[in-house]
Amino acid sequence: MKIIRKFNIIILTIGFLAFASCDLEGGESLNGASTSSISDDLSRGELPQAISGILSDMRDRLNTQVDVQSILGREYYYFTSSDPRFEGDVVTGNLDNQTFYTTNVWATRYAAVKEANLALAGLANTTSDFSPQEVAAIRGVLNTLKAHELLMVSNNQYTNGIRIDVSDPDNLGPIVSYGDALTAIFNLLTDAAIDLDAGGSSLPFNLTSGYDGFDTPEGFLQFNKALSARVEAYRGNYSNVLSLLDDSFMDMSGDLKTGVYHTFSLTGADLSNPLFIAQNQEANVRLPHSSFLTDAEAGDSRINKVTLRDTPREASGLVGTHDVWIYQSLLDNVPIIRNEELILLYAEANIATNPGEAVNAINVIRNAAGLSDYSGAQTASALEDEVLKQKRYSLFGEGHRWVDMRRFDKISELPNDRTGDMVPSAIPIPFDDDF
Amino acid sequence: MKRKKLLKKLLFFCAFLLPLSIMAQTITGKVTDTNGEAISFATIVEEGTSNGTTSDMDGNFSLTVNQLPVNIDVSSLGFITKKEVITSEAPVTIVLIEDTVGLDEIVISGLASTIKRSNLANSVAVVSADDLAGRTPPQTLDGALAGKFTGALVTSNSGSPGGGLSVKLRGVTSINGNSQPLYVIDGVYIDNSSVFSAGLNDVSNAAGGGASASSNQDNASNRIADINPDDIESIEILKGASASAIYGSRGAAGVIIITTKKGKAGKTKINFSQSNGWNEAINLQGQRDWSSALAESEFGEGALYSAAEAAGTLRDYEKELFGEKGFISNTNVSMSGGSENTTFFAGLTRNQEDGIVKGTGYDKSSVRLNIDHKFTDNIKFSLTSNYINSSADRGFFNNDNAGTTLGVALTATRPWDFLLPDENGNYPDHPNNSSNPLQTRDLMTNNERVSRFITGGSLDVNLFRTDNQSLKFVARAGVDHYTLTAKVIFPKELQFQRPDQGGVNGLSAISTTTNTNANYSAFLVHNFSTDNDLKFTTQAGVTNQQFSQNIVRVTATDLIASETNVDQAANVNTDQVRLEQEDFGFFAQEEFNFQDKIIATVGITGDKSTNNGDINEFFYYPKGSLAVNFHNFDFWGANEVLNRFKIRGAYGEAGTFAAFGSLFTILNNTLIDNNVGIIVPITRGNPNISPERQKEFEIGFDAGLLNNRITLEFSYYKKTVEDLLLRADIPTSTGFSSEWKNAGELENKGFEIGVNLKVFDADDFTWNSGISWYTNESEMTRLDVPTFNLGGFGNSLGQFQIEEGASVTQIVGTTGPGTPVSVLGDAEPDFQMSFINDLRYKDFTLSFLWHWKKGGDNINLTKLLSDFGGTSADFDDFDVDPAGQIRNGDYRISNGLFAGNARPFVEDASYLRLREVGLYYTVPSETLTNWFNDIVSNVKLGFSGHNLINIFDYNSYDPEVSNFGGNGLSTGVEVTPFPSSKRFMFHLSAQF
Repeated sequence: MKIIRKFNIIILTIGFLAFASCDLEGGESLNGASTSSISDDLSRGELPQAISGILSDMRDRLNTQVDVQSILGREYYYFTSSDPRFEGDVVTGNLDNQTFYTTNVWATRYAAVKEANLALAGLANTTSDFSPQEVAAIRGVLNTLKAHELLMVSNNQYTNGIRIDVSDPDNLGPIVSYGDALTAIFNLLTDAAIDLDAGGSSLPFNLTSGYDGFDTPEGFLQFNKALSARVEAYRGNYSNVLSLLDDSFMDMSGDLKTGVYHTFSLTGADLSNPLFIAQNQEANVRLPHSSFLTDAEAGDSRINKVTLRDTPREASGLVGTHDVWIYQSLLDNVPIIRNEELILLYAEANIATNPGEAVNAINVIRNAAGLSDYSGAQTASALEDEVLKQKRYSLFGEGHRWVDMRRFDKISELPNDRTGDMVPSAIPIPFDDDF
Repeated sequence: MKRKKLLKKLLFFCAFLLPLSIMAQTITGKVTDTNGEAISFATIVEEGTSNGTTSDMDGNFSLTVNQLPVNIDVSSLGFITKKEVITSEAPVTIVLIEDTVGLDEIVISGLASTIKRSNLANSVAVVSADDLAGRTPPQTLDGALAGKFTGALVTSNSGSPGGGLSVKLRGVTSINGNSQPLYVIDGVYIDNSSVFSAGLNDVSNAAGGGASASSNQDNASNRIADINPDDIESIEILKGASASAIYGSRGAAGVIIITTKKGKAGKTKINFSQSNGWNEAINLQGQRDWSSALAESEFGEGALYSAAEAAGTLRDYEKELFGEKGFISNTNVSMSGGSENTTFFAGLTRNQEDGIVKGTGYDKSSVRLNIDHKFTDNIKFSLTSNYINSSADRGFFNNDNAGTTLGVALTATRPWDFLLPDENGNYPDHPNNSSNPLQTRDLMTNNERVSRFITGGSLDVNLFRTDNQSLKFVARAGVDHYTLTAKVIFPKELQFQRPDQGGVNGLSAISTTTNTNANYSAFLVHNFSTDNDLKFTTQAGVTNQQFSQNIVRVTATDLIASETNVDQAANVNTDQVRLEQEDFGFFAQEEFNFQDKIIATVGITGDKSTNNGDINEFFYYPKGSLAVNFHNFDFWGANEVLNRFKIRGAYGEAGTFAAFGSLFTILNNTLIDNNVGIIVPITRGNPNISPERQKEFEIGFDAGLLNNRITLEFSYYKKTVEDLLLRADIPTSTGFSSEWKNAGELENKGFEIGVNLKVFDADDFTWNSGISWYTNESEMTRLDVPTFNLGGFGNSLGQFQIEEGASVTQIVGTTGPGTPVSVLGDAEPDFQMSFINDLRYKDFTLSFLWHWKKGGDNINLTKLLSDFGGTSADFDDFDVDPAGQIRNGDYRISNGLFAGNARPFVEDASYLRLREVGLYYTVPSETLTNWFNDIVSNVKLGFSGHNLINIFDYNSYDPEVSNFGGNGLSTGVEVTPFPSSKRFMFHLSAQF
């Protein structure tokens, strides 16, 4: 019995020791910084990376976004042997609220908005030595970029509405109407403009080469005004458009390509231009709609944005004889907003109050494309048609056509090549967000 | 006086001694089998005591007992225990009969104890070495399990050599958590990760672009493929928490316990076996009935067709790609021997297999050394060590968004396309696709190389033994370390790599994974038996596991010339993922055995892990079970018809950990214009995440009829999983797509029935047959987040949906434009049946395994892709359209995809397969003695096959397929996979 007792005691002691001595250690995050490190306190060191993250994520899924908008605007068709829904759902207008063309673009734009919100929260909580001007400049840039991303979503979901307040993932704000969304976006831009004005003379971080000429608070302010002008045009506030364009980088005699761009490269984790496809491909192709060629005026140099294919390409009843050739390499930049659009916005804003000035602007564009001056009627509807036409060719493949035709109520004028094809006026809200 | 005392003492002494000498009897004898062969190291025990001995190398034994007559139990592994009454000291011969039913099989019941199968209260499946690899050599271990036991759904992800399978025990255990069982080899917890190789998604773009894609569509293999089936003695499968509760937070998806072969004392035996054979595709799809007119109407290329026809260059490219016969060679040499104190088993295996696609194959070498050593009678030590080196070339298949995988490229290839290289090795561009599949096949590399070392040791110390008590201390340690190097190379000559085609001018990627798992445990086992044969077994112990994994991926593009080193490039992209985890647990179990009539067990496991929100919080998992052996009771008597009847019931709980890192929301990195940036991830972390908990209740009965001529096993189980780990979709306007939550409950219910028949048992002819039937049904009983989808490509093509009140594996989709989403199928089979037969006629043995899976649907998108390419073999048939008016291809495109109708893509994936068949001839021992004296023995020649007959209606290569890999819900989605193959093998084995 004594032996047994001894053993029992030994066992119990060992057990107890083993038990008590095994406190685990570890469990930290190993594979990256966590989001709270940004939003709890944005440091001077983290700031450039946060900004670069937003600029980079603004390019995410750009191809899906622009391709869908271009197909809906009947600018071009996109065929790929790996996904027949581009010639299916998107062209027939049967847009499902759980398929990638609806969900992916919404998700990636809101990811960029989240990154801006994290940085804004971090900025509000910062303990770093930013000067008040630097804080204003940073806030101005963040809000401008955030407003741009929300505008991209609003262009897609249109009257279905979008969410504006998304800073707290556990307490999302409501889906607001199109009108309210544009108002909120405009207010963001206006607040950002006030901040940029007080932002001093330099930014405490680098922007990419796509922002060359706009990488100071003053320059960035011009970009902000340009975006605001576009938003006001969507809202129909044409007098505001004119004064905003005045403060932006619009230049009737300047390079039409001046503006702000997404940049791409092949280095490391960088992205390459997703809208580039080599000519004469078979598996993946972007084919301009035939009307782009047939509706063009003779001599329009913008026709060179498309090139004749060696052999036509057909898919499910849709035929294309040309390739879209806007971007000619994996490194080409994609515009965010540029002078050519600003001049056309100027024209549009002047139609009602100053038709003559509108024609002047139109002529700048026409002449640059190798066409003679505008000689048509100067009625409001004729000028609208002309502006829309010029926008169609000047901003071909840049995601404007569908938006513009829609806001002038001309969706029905867009061509449908097959019976059963239809152009919807809005993309549905993704299933998970539909509440 | 003194003399008298001495005499008295002497008398006393003698008087004392005499009865003693009469009392202390020694019984002697010899233990043999039914052929008269001696059985060495059989156990002879005086019944009801711990007084026993073992027979020596010649089967002789001698045992000192108190009195005669005495009851003894004689037992040996693989034989039925015999009870004998010894009445005299005269030598006896005890004949043991082989245990074909396995009643006396020892099964592992606790972490440190074993129990006789006849006393087991769970339905634990046991697969013996013969069952596993005896019929035909399997390619991988997990593949060898299909159809061999009830309750499992084993699905091969593709036919790619080198493995890649999922094993689901009793339905779906977890939706986003781990659903693959835990594998334990000789006490070592081994790693079964599936790591995708960098570079494949960069080319195929299957998971879309964007920063740091984490891919499960790259056809990765899983690490169980490394284990060599030839080394295995037996496998026990614990199918659910009622049996695996002692494994705590690792046991919810089941545990597969593997025991490798150990040495047998005696003369050293050398076993040699060689198998050679070939494999070929099971079910090639074929071609459309091409003619010049059809080529013209479909592609406007009638002239090209006629020209090719005239030149004789029309080619069936499917046959060109998948028509190879891959050569297979398996060599195995093993040695077993030892003395009374030390025994060893050594094995060397070499497997080589070419795939049905040129340039694919699997090459594996495995070396094993198992040593068992007895320091003293009370201290035993055993060591198992295994080194594996393997190389798998897996081809380039599955989903793709760039037209580059071989399968997708094939869907755009017509017979008149000319794709062969010229005499200088230059391949023409594909006229209809972005890649030339023959060029891709010949020039690309996708290789996984594994170097793995698994070793374990255990120490058994008998601390203390009396007549009715014993105390044992067991300590175990094990290490599993491997390095997996994956190399993916797409040289710049490839059509889709050329810059003028939009390519990146060559891609070379290396992924290096180093993984080390270590586990340590210590237990105490106490046995106590009372006089009326009431036995108590108590065990308690602690375990500690450590996991460490580091994956570094480097992808280089724009390569210099034909260099492949990752620094010989213009652009380099890197990625690193680390995992470190430590678990600690304790467990205690009490087993109570009343005369083998009533056996009850109760136990509890507690563990904690650095993977949980609170790393030092314990999670407790109880278990309990009861088995009643009615036939051992007196009232049962000796019933010839129903000679064995046991009722059993068990309950247990086990858990599944959250995936590593789910606590944190970790920023990803990105690059723009040489500025590094941080971006939000797709999944939002949850600092309060906790493990899932599975509760399983199982009841059943085992019966033996007609003197165990027929044995019957029946089980019913109900598995509930609470606190389901869900990567729930959250509104993407949050900036994230999903979030980890414990937010749901699912339930699995099923039946398992197994019948074994000794149909014939004569001298010349024996026939054993085993039939099993099992079914499972799942339901999502509670879902705390909104209904969400996973595992497919959208409602117009069919996908899985997690919805409260519905089956967990339901497949949903729309059925027309603007129609609501409805249920189109279910991936769970209606039932599965397997039919095993072992026949022996004189020296010939024939053994085969049929496996029938009825029901269970797949989402088949391969046909749709070949419809878009215009190359589907059944394009011009009329069996898909219910009205029979529209051609199959047109229907699937226009009335299927374009009409938002997913019905044509959800197909019944039932199959009936002859999984294994083996016909062997054992050369009679007399002939061998005539030829080789006594040097060679046990020579067997044979022929075997794997998947020789496959019967299914499924409209693609094989219903057993998964585009999304093995873990998770969505096995059964297919997008141009590597086709599966059947194997034909010839064997020769001999013993020296």
